[in-house]
Amino acid sequence: MLEIDNLRVKQGAAELHYNLRALPGELLAIQGRSGVGKSTLLHAIAGFLPVAGGDIRWKGRSLLKLTVEQRPVSLLFQDHNLFEHINVWHNLRLGMPAEQSPEPLHQAAEVLQVTELLQRKPSELSGGQRQRIGLIRALLRPEPIVLLDEPFAELDPQTRQLAAEWSRATAKNGHKTLLLVTHQDEDVERVADRALQL
Amino acid sequence: MRSLLSLFTALLLTTSVSAADLTVYTYDSFISEWGPGPKLEAAFERQCDCDITFIGVEDGVSILNRLRIEGDSNKADLILGIDDGLMEETRTTGLIQPHGLKLDRLKPELAWSDDSFVPFDYGYFAFIYDSRQISKPVDSLQALIDSDATVIYQDPRTSTPGQGLMMWVKAVYGDQAADAWQRLAGHTVTVTKGWWEAYSMFLQGSADYVLSYSSSPAYHVVAEGKSHYKAAPFSEGHVAQIELAAITRTSGNPELARRFLEFLTSAEAQRLIPVSNWMLPVIDGVELPPVFGELIQPKRIGFSPAEVADRRSQWLREWRNAAAQ
Amino acid sequence: MQRAGIAALLFSVLVTVLAFQGLIGFGHGGADWSLLSDRYYQSVLLFSLKQASLSALLSLLLAWPLARALYYRPQLPARRGFLSLCVLAFVMPTLVLITGLVALLGRNGLLSPLLGEQWNLYGLNGILIAHVYLNLPFAVRVMLQQLQHIPDSSWQLAAQLKLSRWQRLRLIEWPTLKPAVLVLFGFVFVLCFNSFAVVLALGGGPRATTLEVAIYQALKYDFNIPEALTLAWSQLLIAGSLFLLLSRWGRSHWLSVDTLQRQWIPQPNQPMKLIHAMVYAAGWLLLLLPIVALLPGVLEVDMARFGWSALLRPTLVSLVVGLLAAGGAMLLAYLMLTPVRQAHLKRQRKRALLLEWLSTHALVAPAMVVSVGLYILLLRQIDLDRWGMLFVVLLNMLMVVPFAVQQLRPRLLQYDAQYHRLCRALKLSGRQRLRLEWPFLRPAFIASFALILVLAIGDLAIFAIFGNEQWTTLPWLIYSYAGSYRIAEASLASLLLLLLCALIVWAFERIRLDA
Repeated sequence: MLEIDNLRVKQGAAELHYNLRALPGELLAIQGRSGVGKSTLLHAIAGFLPVAGGDIRWKGRSLLKLTVEQRPVSLLFQDHNLFEHINVWHNLRLGMPAEQSPEPLHQAAEVLQVTELLQRKPSELSGGQRQRIGLIRALLRPEPIVLLDEPFAELDPQTRQLAAEWSRATAKNGHKTLLLVTHQDEDVERVADRALQL
Repeated sequence: MRSLLSLFTALLLTTSVSAADLTVYTYDSFISEWGPGPKLEAAFERQCDCDITFIGVEDGVSILNRLRIEGDSNKADLILGIDDGLMEETRTTGLIQPHGLKLDRLKPELAWSDDSFVPFDYGYFAFIYDSRQISKPVDSLQALIDSDATVIYQDPRTSTPGQGLMMWVKAVYGDQAADAWQRLAGHTVTVTKGWWEAYSMFLQGSADYVLSYSSSPAYHVVAEGKSHYKAAPFSEGHVAQIELAAITRTSGNPELARRFLEFLTSAEAQRLIPVSNWMLPVIDGVELPPVFGELIQPKRIGFSPAEVADRRSQWLREWRNAAAQ
Repeated sequence: MQRAGIAALLFSVLVTVLAFQGLIGFGHGGADWSLLSDRYYQSVLLFSLKQASLSALLSLLLAWPLARALYYRPQLPARRGFLSLCVLAFVMPTLVLITGLVALLGRNGLLSPLLGEQWNLYGLNGILIAHVYLNLPFAVRVMLQQLQHIPDSSWQLAAQLKLSRWQRLRLIEWPTLKPAVLVLFGFVFVLCFNSFAVVLALGGGPRATTLEVAIYQALKYDFNIPEALTLAWSQLLIAGSLFLLLSRWGRSHWLSVDTLQRQWIPQPNQPMKLIHAMVYAAGWLLLLLPIVALLPGVLEVDMARFGWSALLRPTLVSLVVGLLAAGGAMLLAYLMLTPVRQAHLKRQRKRALLLEWLSTHALVAPAMVVSVGLYILLLRQIDLDRWGMLFVVLLNMLMVVPFAVQQLRPRLLQYDAQYHRLCRALKLSGRQRLRLEWPFLRPAFIASFALILVLAIGDLAIFAIFGNEQWTTLPWLIYSYAGSYRIAEASLASLLLLLLCALIVWAFERIRLDA
């Protein structure tokens, strides 16, 4: 279980407080107005932000002492998820053990309709295409906790539905604990087991 | 990259300086391909059945500086290329031993009787001009300084000819030297770091006169067949530069070193040096290309090495302040 | 990596400290501070400052329109060639440049008749011309690169808002250039402040002396170590603090993220196009003339009798020395930047600044003191006649490290700004990170390698002290030719050296663009 207990994070002069619990395999949507600190929460869990107090625990063990690299977390940033100077396929393989089979990646690319893009450089992709590549990698990495920061923001309605459904299926299938930051209620319905208002 | 590296190390290891019977510190151009070094080495090794190694440093004063730095741990048996202006400073390092040679073969005009330093060539400082451009050259230092002809000379802080001119002006003008320097500065094109910068600028046509040696025209005649570069004889007389060799106190083979000094003033060596170092032989009766007989033969003026050593820094300051105006 | 970086930094600092120590130890005492009140010292200091400020100012002012022309008119003919020529001019061996300038502007120069009776190359004129020639092309490249960081969106927005030309200049161009311009000014200032060969050759006497030249003169005949030390400390203090100050003010320009190719540049109107074309043509003329002026001198050589084989070995030695020095310098620079990057990531600004300063300190440390001090120290410990070439390589390496650091740093910091979080989020291993970084860094790496390679090949000062005649390099050969009346051969060898440099610049530029 992912437990966030009285977590306090400084943001300038203000201090943000968080409390939440997510069961293993639970898909949780996080909603709230802009600036309420949704992304901050994800970055704190992933280990990018110093914590002022409280605790983050996974399976009863505190994560606070662990570095970014040691935490069981896969984070999809709001943007800048791809290295611009290497091709898409190379980008997809990053963050995965070398021995991991590429088959799931190919399948996911097929489902999300990006197979033709794999040999291109990210600069040749549209915003929506880039988001799908990042999404595939974030969900297929062998990390039990997946944090998605507005992963569907730039997708058209059709693709958005496709991506949302694929995300849910893949997360459930991989028994991931997933936190999804989104502004759209429909994303909540399609992906999440429950929603949390910040 | 890696193969280059191995090539480099291989070359480095195979050409180390071997322990020679006689090690000579000299200046670089003396041992360059066109300098006298290689020929002298071959000639001496033929008669002594020994191995002689030259180690080149940038110029004459660098030989002295190297001796100063190394002190007793220097490798040299001989130093070759200090001039009379640096002689006393070299002597005060205490690293030179008397040569014990009779120097009666030397030209009388050198008036040489030092017990430690042996002259191997000499020259008079002189201003060189292009006779195609100038038909009536100035005939005295005073005329040159009072003229408006463009002049290039060398910085006395960094080059021997520069020091030569400093002594020359001092010898001719005495207490009025500062004033003379200021007048000269009015038509000086530039003051260069070393001899060649000045001389090459002159050859490129940058000035009417350049400070060099009375023997410079010989090079142009012998090597290039050009006879229009000439040295202007000055009525006050010219300052000489005498290049010297000496045996170090720390030499492990002073006997052989002495033989080399003797060789250096022999007719054989004296025939080689003028046509490669472009200076004058220190003994009479050397067989040389005819142009050497046509060079100007000035009256010698100047100061004793002791006076130079004593007053150099004072003269330098005088020059620096006057020429910087 | 981090530790190796600190070790690399310490090593380079240690060499400088040892060199000073060598000089202090031999001089039996420190600097002679009474010199500070000497009139001559003050005039040297003032002149150093004056010529360096003027050189830097002129270089930047003249580079600006040229950079704009190149930016707004990417379709100018032979633009790529011009940019290569800029690199060549920046690294041109001063020996060659001086010959070219004298042939062009000296008393009998090709252009001198146009300049009137009063013209004299020697003095401040010559120094400024040579410094501008060396540094303007560098400034052009930096400014152009900076302008190219302006995103399309800014220009599109400006067009939408119908901003006037003046507004665009003030709101878009200047803010992009400003941080770079400050650092650039500092960089060029320091290069000119420490200038040696140019000032000695074109200065025209004691009127035009820089601190570096004065150090040389103090050490040469007088062997006056206390005076040399005073001059050296002054130079280190002034150049060093200025450099520190300017790199503090002008920063963060590399943080712009490069994503999509830039296509959308506002089209200048017809008269402006003409002005750009004329500026561009003037740029070509400026950079080519001193090179062309070398040719007549070369024609005097008797080509048939010239010993071409004499050039082969020195050329090879120069190349090997250059490659070793440049290769080592790239490695050192990369390692030194590791702690710098760490400090930036941790937002430790002071630490970053200090480390950056240390990594480029060889730029402000008086080269003459470093080489002479080390010579004094080593001569008594090591057989320099045998191992001197190692120190030729080592010192050349340390001398060019700052240039490599300068070029690699913005690229690496940009990489970190853009990708460091991503690398961590993806939990990439050290090896994976290096492999990802390499393709990103490669163009900057190749460009700076070529630059410092040519700089190292052109070295004369270090070889003069540590080298020996068995290992004559091409610049030293030129010097030897000239030193024995063979001026025409010297011009020919100079031209060959220049060709070699041009070939290197050209080849690496191709590799960089094709990669």
